[in-house]
Amino acid sequence: MLVIGAGGAGMRAAIEASAAGARVAVVCKSLLGKAHTVMAEGGIAAALGNVDPDDNWQVHFQDTMRGGQLINNWRMAELHARESPERVYELETYGAIFDRTPDGRILQRAFGAHTYRRLCHVGDRTGLEMIRSLQDRIVHLGIEVHMEVTLTRLLKDGDRVIGAFGYNRVDGRFVAFKAKAVVMATGGWGRIYKVTSNSWEGTGDGVGMGFDAGAEVLDPEMVQFHPTGMVWPPGVRGILVTEAVRGEGGYLTNSEGHRFMLEVDPKKKELSSRDVVARAIYKEVQAGRGTEHGGANLDVRHLGAEKIKKKLPSMYEQFLKLADVDITTQPMEIAPTIHYAMGGLRVEAETGATTIAGLYAAGEAAAGLHGANRLGGNSLSDLLVFGRRAGAAASAYVREVGLGKIDERQVAEEQQILLLPLSPDGTENTYLLQQQLQQAMQDGAGLAREEKSLKTCLDRILELRQRSARIHAPGSRKYNPGWHTARDLRFMLTIAEAIVRAAIERRESRGAHWRLDYLEKDPALGRVNFIAYSDGGQVKLKTRPVPEMPPELAKLFADTASAPSASPPPAANPPKPQQVRT
Amino acid sequence: MSSKTPKTDAAAGPIVLQIFRGEDASGHEQRFEVPAVEGMVVLDAVHYVQANFANDLACRWNCKAAKCGSCGAEINGRPRLMCKTRVDEFADQEIHVGPMRTFPLIKDLVTDVSWNYEVNKEIPGFTPAANEPVPYRMLPEDTERVYEYRKCIECFLCQDVCHVLRNHDDKSAYYGPRYMVRIAALEMHPLDTGRRTDLLHGKAGVGMCNITKCCQEVCPEHIKITDNAIIPLKERTATDVYDPVVRIARKLRPARAAQPSPASAGGPQGATPPQRFAVKDVVRLKTRGRRFARVGKVLPDGRLEVWVLHMNGKVQHWDGPKVVRASDVTNNYGPLDEVGIGGKLVEQYITEDHAAEHHG
Repeated sequence: MLVIGAGGAGMRAAIEASAAGARVAVVCKSLLGKAHTVMAEGGIAAALGNVDPDDNWQVHFQDTMRGGQLINNWRMAELHARESPERVYELETYGAIFDRTPDGRILQRAFGAHTYRRLCHVGDRTGLEMIRSLQDRIVHLGIEVHMEVTLTRLLKDGDRVIGAFGYNRVDGRFVAFKAKAVVMATGGWGRIYKVTSNSWEGTGDGVGMGFDAGAEVLDPEMVQFHPTGMVWPPGVRGILVTEAVRGEGGYLTNSEGHRFMLEVDPKKKELSSRDVVARAIYKEVQAGRGTEHGGANLDVRHLGAEKIKKKLPSMYEQFLKLADVDITTQPMEIAPTIHYAMGGLRVEAETGATTIAGLYAAGEAAAGLHGANRLGGNSLSDLLVFGRRAGAAASAYVREVGLGKIDERQVAEEQQILLLPLSPDGTENTYLLQQQLQQAMQDGAGLAREEKSLKTCLDRILELRQRSARIHAPGSRKYNPGWHTARDLRFMLTIAEAIVRAAIERRESRGAHWRLDYLEKDPALGRVNFIAYSDGGQVKLKTRPVPEMPPELAKLFADTASAPSASPPPAANPPKPQQVRT
Repeated sequence: MSSKTPKTDAAAGPIVLQIFRGEDASGHEQRFEVPAVEGMVVLDAVHYVQANFANDLACRWNCKAAKCGSCGAEINGRPRLMCKTRVDEFADQEIHVGPMRTFPLIKDLVTDVSWNYEVNKEIPGFTPAANEPVPYRMLPEDTERVYEYRKCIECFLCQDVCHVLRNHDDKSAYYGPRYMVRIAALEMHPLDTGRRTDLLHGKAGVGMCNITKCCQEVCPEHIKITDNAIIPLKERTATDVYDPVVRIARKLRPARAAQPSPASAGGPQGATPPQRFAVKDVVRLKTRGRRFARVGKVLPDGRLEVWVLHMNGKVQHWDGPKVVRASDVTNNYGPLDEVGIGGKLVEQYITEDHAAEHHG
């Protein structure tokens, strides 16, 4: 079987499948160990109850569902909350080492909208620890890894996915993989926006490939803005400032020195959910109380230099080197940055199976767990829980089926698409088109959305799509990033269109989706998910009902079912102030 | 604009980059002018060139925040991360950007670093004891010493600058600094039971390093590669090759029975539960040097009478008795007798070994 993507989810899937006896190949666009998981800083959410003994999976489940504004797939949220502790302990058997309590257990820190201190962490480099542990495991299990290979098309035999086709980045040669099952673990699409914490890899190609092959894309409109990205200088705009800064006690102030989160969410303050904090910062800036470069101040000076350097070492280094700011003596200037795609391929909760036979998905490329807003720390646990499940299910599936037959026509078609930009007839510069798309999405489908700006954005996407057929990428096929970007751009345009079309249709404000022209929640829309699917290559939308919770779980939300902003159960949950107060 | 970034002088005119272009020895530098932007890093400038002048300029990068270690290059002759090198650092100078020279060139700034991944496969991975109970219990002071090694982002700048790998091009004799750091991380892991000193002594070639410390100077994560990884591994290799007893003592794991049960619910949060000790347990003292000691007697008031392991070069002996409080002791590695070596025997054995070495 084939695993596409070597971040946390892909590697965990490969480990599981390999342990189950399947022959696995992992394909990744970068070198091994460079995937975006490495950027995760704050921690991994798991209700171990090591620091707060009252924590348990039910509370974690509720936090996740409430954070997602109840349009999550409840079963995924349940499995995630139940299984993440075991996955964390397991990671330590691969050699990972988390920060400890004085008596030697895994230490946990507070994070936004988690009722209890729940995030297992290693300073502010949790993602690195995780990816290195999984990478070492992969290496020592002898799993086959193909680095710097980009796959651009799923090959189908009838209705079944039987392999994938693409190219080797180094020498530009085409490659085809024949596989009984494919696990898509390609991450998200933050690169579609201008101000982003994502690397070049976040182009949505895995989801785009799934879409092209006929899979359903769930909740595309739900794009998370992380409240705290760097603002200044321009070159670092968007680089992530971990939520752990607030978890460790950092607070936000506006240009008047006022700590505005005290009013926005008096209970959780800076540790409210990400959508709430991001909007609060945006509103401060709109009201003329922003900092010099259009953000807010994030202050940790009261923690003292020693604690800052111990608990937030890479933040200290990052600001000192890149912005000339010593965070032990100066506040950090921050503003929201694109961070995560809640949307992705629609999957079955237990198995990660998409709507196409032979295609599985896990991690950010899959959707359903996070609903309208992801809680910090839930993505790393998502990778492990559902990476393992997808790997297990796919390896069971490969025992049932034979190898398919590669259809040469599909291969020829994709070769043609790939080679098109190399022909000298084109006139468009691929990088400039990409920049224009990023700008269009930032302006039209960003943090604050309205019908008019979304429609303008859609027009620009469609125009860019036309122009993208005339891209010219100079140079040879050997390690040619311009040529690579040309293909990425096609996926980005598809995903961008899905985001905008669904954002237009969701005429309400919910979680990360904030409509200035529909500030309230619409209970009817709270019962549906939007699905984008391919109709002869065109992006089409439909809705599906949100899966209904069984009564024993639904009763945990009895108080919120009718009035979503009512006060929460005794577990000290904050009010979820998702309603915008303007 | 405020005075927040005083180093920058955006009005000073364009930045001049000389970027290496080519796929083999015939490659050469190409000159580009890039408009200066406040706070710009070399990677920004390279991206500007890529977008506007040379779409096919090959370079690796991912996170642009010094976390992934992809964008290593030689900038004005020094191996650095492009994402972390500010252009204003060079004032009016031209900025020369080239590939890492220790690895075979692929194209422009991209080199073939696959050798590193092959080396990694030869290092035996984390090996916990088969009966190690999960979830793991590890004390903070034991885990913190490993963090430095685990900060490594695998940028391979240390490999690039290492003169064993670079000048002599002898990649068969030495794994290089990155993999000394990796082996150190495994060897110092509190629950690892693997043994890699034969590998270090042999193929990994720890002896090849002659401590010029170039690698630790270029490390973007400020890992003290030579001081904290290579030198301790050299020492460990020396003692393990010549002194099996220390090795065995080091590899003894905490006695499981002495561990408090993880489900000690109701107890005060964060309190360290008392450790239990028995005669002949090998423990570690909290005092400077964190010496090994052997428990000789447990006093009625809970204090311990211990014999401290002293090492003067290769001559070692148990010194005591010394009375310490239980709280002065960090780990309990379990009874020494479990492997059939008593205190006296140890002394004798070491002395003989020492003598044998002198005569041999």
